[in-house]
Amino acid sequence: MEGILLHILGAIATFLLAFVVGMTYGGIRRKVIARVQNRYGPPIYQNFIDAFKLFSKTTAVHHGAMHLLGPAFLIVSAVMALMVVPVLRDNLWFTNLNFHGDLIFLIYIMVFGPLGMALGAGQTGNPNSAIGVTRGLSQMVGFEIPWVMALVAIMIKYNTTSIVDLMKIQTEVGQWLIFQNPFAFIAAILASLGMFRYAPFNIVGAPTELASGPASENGGKFLFTMMSAGSVFAFVKLTLFVDIFLGGASNLIILVIKTFLLYMIPVLYGAVNPRYRTEQAITYFWGWPLLFGFLAIIYSVYF
Amino acid sequence: MDIIILILIVFFAGAILTAFSGKISTLVQDILFLVTLIVPAILFFTGVEMNTETVISFNKTPLTLGMTPLSYYFALIVMGLAVLAGAYTIGQMNGKKRKGYFYLNYILSIGAMFGILMSKDLVSFFIFWEIMTWASYLIVIYNGKNVQKIGIKYFVMSAIGAYAMLMAIVITHSLTGSFLISDLISGFGSWNHGMQILIPVLLLVGFGVKAAIMPLHIWAPDAYSNSPMSYTAIFSGALSKMGVYGMVIVFLTLLTKVPEGALIRDIVAWLAAITAAISTLYAIKQDDAKRLLAYSSIGQLGYIVIGVAIGTPMSMLAGLFLAFMHGVFKSTLFMVVGAIEKQTGTTDFREITGLIRKMPWTFLAALISIIALAGIPPLGGFVGKWMLYESLIQSDHFMLVTLVFFSSTAAFLYCYKILFGFFLGQEEKEWSHVKEAPAIMVVPMLILSIISVVLGTFPQLIMKPINAAMTFYGMPDTYGILWKESMLFNKWGNDIALTPIMYGIMAVFIVVAIFLFVKNRTRTRYVTTKDISSSGEIPKEHENLTFSRGFFQPFLRAVEPVMRKQIDKYMLSFAQGVEDLFEFTRRIYNGNGQSYAIYAMIFLIILLVLGKNLFG
Repeated sequence: MEGILLHILGAIATFLLAFVVGMTYGGIRRKVIARVQNRYGPPIYQNFIDAFKLFSKTTAVHHGAMHLLGPAFLIVSAVMALMVVPVLRDNLWFTNLNFHGDLIFLIYIMVFGPLGMALGAGQTGNPNSAIGVTRGLSQMVGFEIPWVMALVAIMIKYNTTSIVDLMKIQTEVGQWLIFQNPFAFIAAILASLGMFRYAPFNIVGAPTELASGPASENGGKFLFTMMSAGSVFAFVKLTLFVDIFLGGASNLIILVIKTFLLYMIPVLYGAVNPRYRTEQAITYFWGWPLLFGFLAIIYSVYF
Repeated sequence: MDIIILILIVFFAGAILTAFSGKISTLVQDILFLVTLIVPAILFFTGVEMNTETVISFNKTPLTLGMTPLSYYFALIVMGLAVLAGAYTIGQMNGKKRKGYFYLNYILSIGAMFGILMSKDLVSFFIFWEIMTWASYLIVIYNGKNVQKIGIKYFVMSAIGAYAMLMAIVITHSLTGSFLISDLISGFGSWNHGMQILIPVLLLVGFGVKAAIMPLHIWAPDAYSNSPMSYTAIFSGALSKMGVYGMVIVFLTLLTKVPEGALIRDIVAWLAAITAAISTLYAIKQDDAKRLLAYSSIGQLGYIVIGVAIGTPMSMLAGLFLAFMHGVFKSTLFMVVGAIEKQTGTTDFREITGLIRKMPWTFLAALISIIALAGIPPLGGFVGKWMLYESLIQSDHFMLVTLVFFSSTAAFLYCYKILFGFFLGQEEKEWSHVKEAPAIMVVPMLILSIISVVLGTFPQLIMKPINAAMTFYGMPDTYGILWKESMLFNKWGNDIALTPIMYGIMAVFIVVAIFLFVKNRTRTRYVTTKDISSSGEIPKEHENLTFSRGFFQPFLRAVEPVMRKQIDKYMLSFAQGVEDLFEFTRRIYNGNGQSYAIYAMIFLIILLVLGKNLFG
């Protein structure tokens, strides 16, 4: 009984951690981009204020069942992905469902939410939403190839699809995977630029063209749900990268440092780039990232 | 009398009775049609026993019928789909012309498929195979549109497959002196090397046509999209699986005994993977739901064939599992399209929008099947895909797994297109009269959707028959090794239990959904799709805001170089070349006596001039 209680409390703690870290990172991103553009920028806790404001709004209208369910799909998928990714090495609090952590399962559970959201956005009838969704899906096909190649390279090297096993291997060997297969890391990090959807890959939201795309008909609590799901997803992706490539983390401080450094790659890359056109944003991933994916596979097969 | 023969008699007698009962009344015809499908299904599920043999002699040629565990598994798909799609057919064909013709061929093809599965010798296998091809051909041309192009394409490809198979059968008989499939399998190991390569390849060509593997797939998009949708559910769901059934036998038995087996496996798997990738891109391009699903079927059959061709226990499990799942979700989707066609009169994404509130049950069926198709957990499609990926990684097919990943991610695009194109988006006045399809069409769709959901949680329901089939053909017993109950077990030692995760998802999902849904539903009011924010302007009633043209245009622009090459074009130019050759021959044999006289003269002159040199 105590075990179950610990699990439930641990799950809640994980969610709160992911929420807080994700939101803070979002705030830092806004600040960083502002400083790069020589503005003062909002305080880094601005996202919390926004979230609180959105949460306290009442929603007046809806566009039908799928519209109501869309954000629910999104948050459920974010939480499920969070439960599968190991947050810390050998920690009782954040165990959750880690021992089932399977990379293929994770990839699929991560698209479950956005697809549900896409259906919700579709029912609103706003053409901008649908255009945003088609762009997002197209882009996903783009970055999925280098991303999967990087993962395949790792999976065949160590004959496992389990994230926990990959972390164990890194501890045993005493060398992070980023050094064991640098090409896989490069391919994955380039793919992550598309995953985070910051500039130049922010074609889905595209404020100036699509009026924030799929989010455009959602306000108040809907937007709050989407915002928190986005923060949790960001945390999940960063933690996954840390787990796979940087040997995981043994305590929260190391986790925060590692994830923050990784997070700065897409943020800084985006800060100095304008937005790509959709087909450019797709074909970008079929150039250098694809090559690094090939190299990663060749490297892990022959070396 | 043996029960298999009884079932076949019911099928063939019922087909003829149904065809002519239209003269009495259409109601009698409908009932007779359904009875002809249900009675054999009941007989099959209650009476047919495993590993029995019945021999009928026709003119000294014995035809041996009996059931193996593998044929039982495929018969599950055929019989189950036949009944459900049959019920749906009655709703869909209501008020159509030439019902007798359609019903006759429908039942004949189901009976022939059953016959194929029960055949234990190659002669009866071939006879039933041809009946199936003919019956499906007659349904493909049922619409009467483009018969020349579509019908001939299907028929020529089927003929190529059939002749390849016939050649293999004749060679087998000359080598073993028997038509029995078991004799072929047991004697195969001692043949000379050339025959050991030739026979499997010929058989694979024969089966590959029905399984629509590149470059034998060119008939499929047209044939699938031109049959009435109630039959395409069978066509894509069950009939294509006959090709898979044959392939499974070839890969499980014949190719394990040949040294070049591994090479043939890889070639077939790569062809299937390329088929899957390219046809997925073509599916994204289509604006007509029928053609989209037709291409999607070809792609999904690609995954199945990859699994079967690789041939490790796990990939075989994945292939066979996906075969069942594909039968379930793809036939549901074809039924959905048929229902929409019936209610609106078109299947073009550019015309229909916003049916979700008018056809909610159809939407639900479509949604569940799409989730299964996309392979998103917790539905059955994921279990199959997961096993396929695992098996490909285990067997070191790195590039193949990347290609499969690519095509299954690209599949999300057309999945969204189906759902958005028909059900979501702006609700136009033009379609405000549309009503939900009749219950007899909706209920089969919903039953099939429920099967998709159940198989995601309890995959062991069909993994047991698969396991029986695989052990029957000499594969190691995977029961409890690769999977336990609904827990998928990884060969590398770390088990991945799907059940708790699935229940976790369901619990969290249901709680959140209920919370958001109920709470929001009561507190908010519904507004139409015209009441949206569009940069501060309020769109007028007549303004069309539907986004349905050029749906994935940027993506298609990005992949354009890949899609430029079409095997169709090569085949057509080959056909053109052959036609030109015939044209040339026709000019020589022009039927004019004078010209023949000149030919004779020329021949004589040649003889006179060169006679000494040639025959001297």
